Amino acid sequence: MLSGSKTSFKIQQHPPGPALRGPKSSDMNSKRNRNGQAFPCIPGEHVLEEAARVRKIVRSRDGEGSILGTLYCTNLRVAFVPEPAPGDTVGAPRCSTCLHSEHDVALPCIGRLVAVNSFTKAKVLTANSTLKFIPEELVLYCRDFRVLRFRFRDSGLEPRACQVTLAIVQAQESSNASAGTWYDSGAIRNLENAWLSTEESLSPPTLLFERPCDWEKELRRLGAAGWRVSPVNERFDMATSLPKYLWVPSRLLDNELKRAFGHFNARRIPRLCWHHPGGSDLLRAAGFHADSDPEKEDVRSVEALMLAGHAQCVIVETAADLPSPAEIQLSYLKLRALCLPDSSVADEKWLSALEGTRWLEHVRACVRKASEVAALLAERSRSIVLQESDDRDLNCLLASLVQVLSDPHARTQSGFQSLLQKEWVVAGHPFLQRLNLLRDNDREESPVFLLFLDCVWQLLQQFPASFEFTETYLVALHDSSYIPFFSTFLFNCQWERDRRNQHRASNQIYAPVNGWRELPPLEILQKGGRLAKERGGPYLPTIWDWALRYTTQQRAQFRNPAYARGSGSTTVPNGKSAPLGGDKLEGALSGNRAVYLFAKGALSPQTHLFPWKNGSLSKKGWWRAQSSESLSEQDRSLRSKPSGCPQQPEGLLLPASAGPLIRLWRRCYLRGSQEVQRGLFASTLAELAEELDRLRKQLGD
Amino acid sequence: MASSSSPKYNSNSLESSSIKRTPKDGTKWEQNEEIPHLPGETSVTDKEVIYVCPFNGAVKGRLYVTNYRLYLRSVELDPVVILDVPLGVIARIEKMGGASSRGENSYGLDITCKDMRNLRFALKQEGHSRRDIFEILTKHAFPQSHNLPFFAFVNEEKFAENGWMVYNPMPEYRRQGLPNEQWRVTFINEHYGLCDTYPSLLVVPYNATDDDLKKVAAFRSRNRIPVLSWIHPENQAVVMRSSQPLVGMSGKRNKDDERYLDIIRDANGQISKLTIYDARPSVNAVANKATGGGYEGDDAYPNAELFFLDIHNIHVMRESLKKLKDIVYPNVEESHWLSSLESTHWLEHIKLVLTGAIQVADKVSSGKSSVLVHCSDGWDRTAQLTSLAMLMLDSYYRTIVGFEVLVQKEWISFGHKFASRIGHGDKNHADADRSPIFLQFVDCVWQMSKQFPTAFEFNEQFLITILDHLYSCRFGTFLYNCESVREKEKVTERTLSLWSLINSEKAKYTNPFYNKELNRALYPVASMRHLELWVNYYIRWNPRIRQQQPNPVEQRYMELLALRDDYMRRLEELQITNNSKISNSSTSSASPSQMMSHVQTHF
Repeated sequence: MLSGSKTSFKIQQHPPGPALRGPKSSDMNSKRNRNGQAFPCIPGEHVLEEAARVRKIVRSRDGEGSILGTLYCTNLRVAFVPEPAPGDTVGAPRCSTCLHSEHDVALPCIGRLVAVNSFTKAKVLTANSTLKFIPEELVLYCRDFRVLRFRFRDSGLEPRACQVTLAIVQAQESSNASAGTWYDSGAIRNLENAWLSTEESLSPPTLLFERPCDWEKELRRLGAAGWRVSPVNERFDMATSLPKYLWVPSRLLDNELKRAFGHFNARRIPRLCWHHPGGSDLLRAAGFHADSDPEKEDVRSVEALMLAGHAQCVIVETAADLPSPAEIQLSYLKLRALCLPDSSVADEKWLSALEGTRWLEHVRACVRKASEVAALLAERSRSIVLQESDDRDLNCLLASLVQVLSDPHARTQSGFQSLLQKEWVVAGHPFLQRLNLLRDNDREESPVFLLFLDCVWQLLQQFPASFEFTETYLVALHDSSYIPFFSTFLFNCQWERDRRNQHRASNQIYAPVNGWRELPPLEILQKGGRLAKERGGPYLPTIWDWALRYTTQQRAQFRNPAYARGSGSTTVPNGKSAPLGGDKLEGALSGNRAVYLFAKGALSPQTHLFPWKNGSLSKKGWWRAQSSESLSEQDRSLRSKPSGCPQQPEGLLLPASAGPLIRLWRRCYLRGSQEVQRGLFASTLAELAEELDRLRKQLGD
Repeated sequence: MASSSSPKYNSNSLESSSIKRTPKDGTKWEQNEEIPHLPGETSVTDKEVIYVCPFNGAVKGRLYVTNYRLYLRSVELDPVVILDVPLGVIARIEKMGGASSRGENSYGLDITCKDMRNLRFALKQEGHSRRDIFEILTKHAFPQSHNLPFFAFVNEEKFAENGWMVYNPMPEYRRQGLPNEQWRVTFINEHYGLCDTYPSLLVVPYNATDDDLKKVAAFRSRNRIPVLSWIHPENQAVVMRSSQPLVGMSGKRNKDDERYLDIIRDANGQISKLTIYDARPSVNAVANKATGGGYEGDDAYPNAELFFLDIHNIHVMRESLKKLKDIVYPNVEESHWLSSLESTHWLEHIKLVLTGAIQVADKVSSGKSSVLVHCSDGWDRTAQLTSLAMLMLDSYYRTIVGFEVLVQKEWISFGHKFASRIGHGDKNHADADRSPIFLQFVDCVWQMSKQFPTAFEFNEQFLITILDHLYSCRFGTFLYNCESVREKEKVTERTLSLWSLINSEKAKYTNPFYNKELNRALYPVASMRHLELWVNYYIRWNPRIRQQQPNPVEQRYMELLALRDDYMRRLEELQITNNSKISNSSTSSASPSQMMSHVQTHF
């Protein structure tokens, strides 16, 4: 993924046109339709084309219905505004701050456009298409599994139908080429500020991990004595893809730390992710650099990092049991094709077709591996290093999933969001590339993050009272990954996020020619490092500003009324009860330190911590050369754990991963299908909780 | 199946629930007894064995056999492993290994159960110890083959409720608004003279005389004439059930049958054709002509239109369940779970049954048309279709008692051959008459309850309990094939009803999310995309597959409900004291009126 030695960027000038001009006055922002109803543009948005009296087809259990309204094509999205019913002032409430509604789709999220006319075949539209008929119906297949259908009036004789359809095709195509240029960040920031002042200060904040205080705060929460926040990468000069701040062993000075960087791919050294109250530490790192030739001092630094003061270190080969990003993508494409309502798969063949996508198999592998690692963490005090070649894909998934299982705090909404910031956003998961939001490089697309969300949904199914948030929240998060309005998913790493947010003022953007690339540190020092200090926060809002997209009522559905806050949130396995029998074990191995490799569910002892021999790395994978005689005792203890057992050491969730219990996330993936799934009892429970609140207040009076 | 006191087993074995449930179940634990006994239950023998548990390995224990159950307790107390299995669930007992068998635990007994599990006990290879226990088990597990009574006839339990009072046909028809001007109640079958597998009380068109009925009976397989199951309260369209017409190879016709169906069509003033749903695949319906059966042809019945619902016969269903058991017990097929599940076709059959029932219900409800449902004999697929359609159409059947009425009416009284399909107390395990038709129906109900989690008063445990006692022979409810035999055996006098057990502790079987208001017709989505395998039933013996029990969301909801009741009570008390203090100071109520009205609705 990081291959390609070219550092060339194609510098694009904005094409002259409406997109460049941007909003000049409020008039432009709210182009009025014939009914005098204004379309509430967001800053930087303008309407390109519109068609009134369009019917949006909605399907439900009770059959097919439709909503009458106006269809807009703007430079950012396709939007539909229902007409208020006569005498109904509320109509369809569309708050001005809402950047998203169920009727809208951001242009980059449109997967396929199909025009339908009863006299011709349905036609898939691309930028090169010419429309030889006036469409009766326009179907938008969205990348987030939604299917939007708009029916024009006058059955195929409405000229506006043609115009708006072509406008959508054009807009979608040009958004692919020049996305990221349209927004007026200042305006969106103001929007955000306005919102921030009104509410939400009540709920615990999401730690963005952009400033050292967040790192300090979280480290204190974990109670990780022996660890400190190192600003060694503050200017991204150690590793561009790593966050500015790193958790490293206290006794390791920055100077010693610097010796380690060169020996890991992309200089992504081992660093702390999470500290188990029982003493174990979870770390993540990239693979050992193949060409490095560590000096004795370097080896000492790396060793200190990996062992982190423990007598035992388990290196988890992350990729060993998990799908590759390419496999995930392939699987996801198959899943999406299968779940679309026009899927040609016969209903009787549905199960095997679903199996054929391998999506659930991937989900199962992730859930299983995460629970194995979580069990290893809880079992005894040791350091566990998740090692993935580039440390930017499945390490993000595994590190965060292990924490969701192990740490009740990660199962609250703010804790979960902080976790995503820490292990994905600032840790440098290449979101832009993986989600391919701007459609500039299909080759690197892979929804590793969506696979993670599915895993979390599986846990929510198995432990419905252990999460503060609901399935609705996860669906919202899933959908958010296809809305290019936010800094969270638009960048490949924190350095890029910081940097791009500043360069927006100029009319140049860097369109990567060869996928995502890092710029040499020199440029960072000249520009990024200096500018970063001048800015307070990000220019673009983050995805966590839910109020920008969801109404208060919608956000109320994010909260799980069944969440039992008490259970597990304070109780965690304590160090004393953790089976710390390891000391005996170590004596038998080299010196008083033991290193194990964990792959395919088995621990195998290693004679060396490092793969380097005579100054070069065995290309085959160093550990395979070792005796892979598994440590029977360790092995047994892991495997004999009843994996479906719901009652765990307090706070720890160990999910089942057997076939029948890994299910399809129907509410997410089958949204486009004709049969609408019913929301389950969440609403019933929420209503009751609300009623209780009212009663409580009354009693308090 | 097995239970233990150690947290490890307790936490994950549903097996334990079978024993833990027992005392609450109405079982009276007698003091100083080693094993639980129901009143009327007597010990027969006990023996040292090794229980070869497929999940936790071999367990040394003592096996107790009574006239009701097989009970095993491990010798070691940590963990204590307990097995508690009613003998009724045993389908087959086989000897495993011979006197010269070598290898650990290779000599003993293999027991196949009707509830998706097998049990294996290893014995010492000495004396005739195995022969004795084999014979005792065989005798008591298959009492009908040994001239012994079912345990239900010696069961002396006492319950607060009498389940036999749950269903009485007359009040049930009256609830439906019958008889009325178009439909009458007939006692023509009072002594089962017209049809020996039908109930004594039938509802038929007002315009058909008893003499007509007799003529129709001659043209319907086993005299099972079309009779009314349910009437729509508004549009008066009806659900009728019957067996196939005796058309035969020569294409016989019967004027009385033809006229009778026309009377049915005419009863709600309907102009359109009468809809006939033949549950079978059309090929099977045609093939039935060879044995004298068949279906209503266009020529003979111009005022009816016939649809085939493609539901397969009892043999196909039996094989399908067998395949399902193969992939879930003892080990769950791992690598290709979904395609293995698909290859059992179990969910596909569920889908076809549900699809058929949806068509029936929709035709009656939105099509405002009367329908006649039949298969070959009208006691398997027909019962599934009519009862499921009624469950979709009538919210009464979605209550606990309503569901009991539905089972009692459409299944038990209309002669679903429980004795033959389940093989109660019968040693002939390979009997081709056995088939999981009722289980399939309950599975369909479970699918509906999954899709409409607030529409049913009962919970999953209710359905599982029904299925457990479908086999247990502890109650008379499911014994025998039809009402006439049950009457002869005096079942209601000499045995207890399963509904006595359930209705005596309804709270345990109540779905806390139930919302009475939801009384419209419910149509589940019968697509493979939305059907699920009932894991908590079919794979409940596997400790690795179990889900959190009890459901924490359900538990939380119950807690909140209790809290609400407490608040309401306290508010009420406050209001009373306030009212007495501030006597009629008119505008003093500080709380918003909306809240007050809300509260008041509950008082």
